[in-house]
Amino acid sequence: MAEVKVKQELTDPVEIENRIKDLCQQFPHGITDQVIQNDMPHVEAQQRAMAINRLLSVGQLDLLRNSTGLLYRLKDTQSASKMKGSDNQEKLVYQIIEDAGNKGIWSRDIRYKSNLPLTEINKILKNLESKKLIKAVKSVAASKKKVYMLYNLQPDRSVTGGAWYSDQDFESEFVEVLNQQCFKFLQGKAEVARDSKQSPMVQRNSSFATSHEVWKYICELGISKVELSMDDIETILNTLIYDGKVEMSVIAAKEGTAGCVDGQMKLYRGVNPIIQSTGLVKTPCGLCPVFDDCHEGGEISPSTCIYMTEWLDF
Amino acid sequence: MTQQEVRLCGLLLQEHFGEVVEKVAVHLLRTGAQTLRGIAQETSTPLDLVKKSLCVLAQHGMCEFRRGRRGPAGAVEYLATSERILRILRYPRYIYTAKTLYGDTGELIVEEVLQRGHMTMSGSVKTVADRLTHNMEEGRSMDYSEVVTAFSKLVETHFIQRCPPVADVGAAPPAAGPGAQAAPAAPPSPADSHPERYTLPHVKLTGRGKRRHPSEESEGEQRGAKRAKMDTSESSGDTGIYWQVNFDRFHQHFRDQAIVSAVASKLDQTSSEIVRTMLRMSEVTTTPTAACTQPLSANEIFRALPPSYSITRPVLEQYLSLLVDDPMEFVGKSGESGGGMYVVNLHKALATLSRATLESVVQERFGSRSARIFRLLLRKRHLEQKQVEDFAMIPAKEAKDMLYTLLSENLVQLQEIPKTPDHAPSRTFYLYTVNPLPTARLLLQHCYKAVGNLMERRQYETKENKRLLEKSQRIEAILASLQASGAEPSQLTEVEEMITAPERQQLQALRHHVNKLDSSENQVDETIFLLESYINSTQTSR
Repeated sequence: MAEVKVKQELTDPVEIENRIKDLCQQFPHGITDQVIQNDMPHVEAQQRAMAINRLLSVGQLDLLRNSTGLLYRLKDTQSASKMKGSDNQEKLVYQIIEDAGNKGIWSRDIRYKSNLPLTEINKILKNLESKKLIKAVKSVAASKKKVYMLYNLQPDRSVTGGAWYSDQDFESEFVEVLNQQCFKFLQGKAEVARDSKQSPMVQRNSSFATSHEVWKYICELGISKVELSMDDIETILNTLIYDGKVEMSVIAAKEGTAGCVDGQMKLYRGVNPIIQSTGLVKTPCGLCPVFDDCHEGGEISPSTCIYMTEWLDF
Repeated sequence: MTQQEVRLCGLLLQEHFGEVVEKVAVHLLRTGAQTLRGIAQETSTPLDLVKKSLCVLAQHGMCEFRRGRRGPAGAVEYLATSERILRILRYPRYIYTAKTLYGDTGELIVEEVLQRGHMTMSGSVKTVADRLTHNMEEGRSMDYSEVVTAFSKLVETHFIQRCPPVADVGAAPPAAGPGAQAAPAAPPSPADSHPERYTLPHVKLTGRGKRRHPSEESEGEQRGAKRAKMDTSESSGDTGIYWQVNFDRFHQHFRDQAIVSAVASKLDQTSSEIVRTMLRMSEVTTTPTAACTQPLSANEIFRALPPSYSITRPVLEQYLSLLVDDPMEFVGKSGESGGGMYVVNLHKALATLSRATLESVVQERFGSRSARIFRLLLRKRHLEQKQVEDFAMIPAKEAKDMLYTLLSENLVQLQEIPKTPDHAPSRTFYLYTVNPLPTARLLLQHCYKAVGNLMERRQYETKENKRLLEKSQRIEAILASLQASGAEPSQLTEVEEMITAPERQQLQALRHHVNKLDSSENQVDETIFLLESYINSTQTSR
């Protein structure tokens, strides 16, 4: 009895539409005509086509083409509802911005893609922004350049500049503090190793710290308001290498060990400089800003040099 | 030959040999080879003065002579050697090294030989013994044999060598033609042409140092002349054999010291002692220009280690492998035989040291962030501006500022790589890079200028206070003579008070200033030494 009722109900066009929508919800990646046919073997092709056409025209369903044939997919109900009352141009712009993902897209690029005049696009963008469908994000690469992306997206690192930027400004102080803290950690480790009075090999090996250890130390310190990744810490450690304060060596490690990436582990250790400041810079001449203009008998000369006088009386 | 070098040479010569010598030498440096008459005319100096100046220069090996360009009959030409003149700057360091290695006697021997350019062994032994005796207490004196021992030690360790025999200008092979002219100009390389340079002659020197009494001074000239006559008459069997300081050997020693102290500061004391031992073992066997020392086996090193360090064999091996692993690469492993063969990479070490010097200059002058950029470029060779900002984590604006400053100071170079032949800026890569060798040369010139500045300032300071200095000297002389004649203490204080308190203060300040300038000159010379050896070693290895 129930089976008959279902069959009867299925003949109703509204029921068919609902059934198709249910199917689409089950398969969010989209369904082919074959799937619908298998699900509703008793429905005639014409009825099916009518139902699908209706759904498409209302804008509840998307028609996509892929390698195997046509695909039906449920349109984002949220955006569908939000897009209500907007015209085709607006939809087109929205689509372009959606395609750009979390990298965002520049308004001029939208113009090229949509072939709409810039004034029109600006109007549409303002419109969409006021509906909170999209947002404008300032890129760190060029401070004057605004890129647009969907409202609910988290901007990409390349746009925001990652952990080192806040409001498009590079936080050099933050970087400096982290740089110092990392160095302090490595230096402390090296000192403990030196004082341990063990054999030289053990001393050296225990002065190494993996990037994971440094990362954990920094996280536990809680100096950072933002979440730092291990890559972020490695960039900081690299600056220490360029400061000549730290050495890095890479060793092979078992996959799954903490701090291991692709079977490699990066080890860092604090080192001492090989020379103290050289003789030249201990003289005023080594640091003199007008060194090139200095000649005996000239306006600036060694005999009358004020830097030299101050240094001599020091 | 740059202007800065000429200036520094001039200043050094002026201080050591006076203005006439300076004038002649600077003229020679500026113009290149010159005949005697040419020098006299162009410097408008009397001929005999020019001759004397050339004598002085030749005595110290600071000028060479060669047959003229117009064949054997042509006039002899003179040529000043700037490298040798610049060595004057390092005299204090040579003397100090001799003192630390061989005590007061060694110090005085090296000092005498440096002061006189070259001298016979007997001559230097006598003078040194006399000087040492003079400084001893009354009634004691220095035995010649002790000085001879010190002298022979210096020769054995190659710090002092025989002067190469002077090639007779007239007897030089008459190989005509322009090709042969360069041959006599090249200094005879001592290694092959002069096998006897470290053999001591048989000298019979017996006696003790004589004390020169103050009372003798008054007799003055006469006695001096008499003594000179006496000296020449009693020949010690080494006439004609002259000795000079072997600068290369000293430089080798300085280089080794620099390497050892670098290891000590980077790693630890024990590692540096091991490296010191390795360097000492290969001191005589390795040629001065070799890229690395002769390979030494771990066994040999172990046996040569001074027992006081108490390093056991396994610990030594650990240290050696640590040294090999270190990114400085001062020590390398060349084989497995004999418990592992190890070498000290001398060129590599010099390159690393001079790199550290460059970095240190950038760091002190432009701040540590610029130094970060500088090191970054040294490591990564070529980088675009954007990459520099990202790697160094410096805000774009500051990084640009620093890069441009470094570029304008020629410490960093810019390389354009156009994508299209029209060099349009939008389609061109701009790569920043650091070339260590040209940068080292640049800094070397800076050093020369800095030393020149310091010397000029010193001369200025002494000139400004000339009257005061003369006065204090006069008063000291009076005091000495009064003391000798046994004057009353009240008289002495009266004379002493002739220098007023402010004057005394001024004198003290002056002394302080001059000392500071002097020590700075020596410090800059250390930088000069490192850069020079790096540049020379890179040139020879090419």
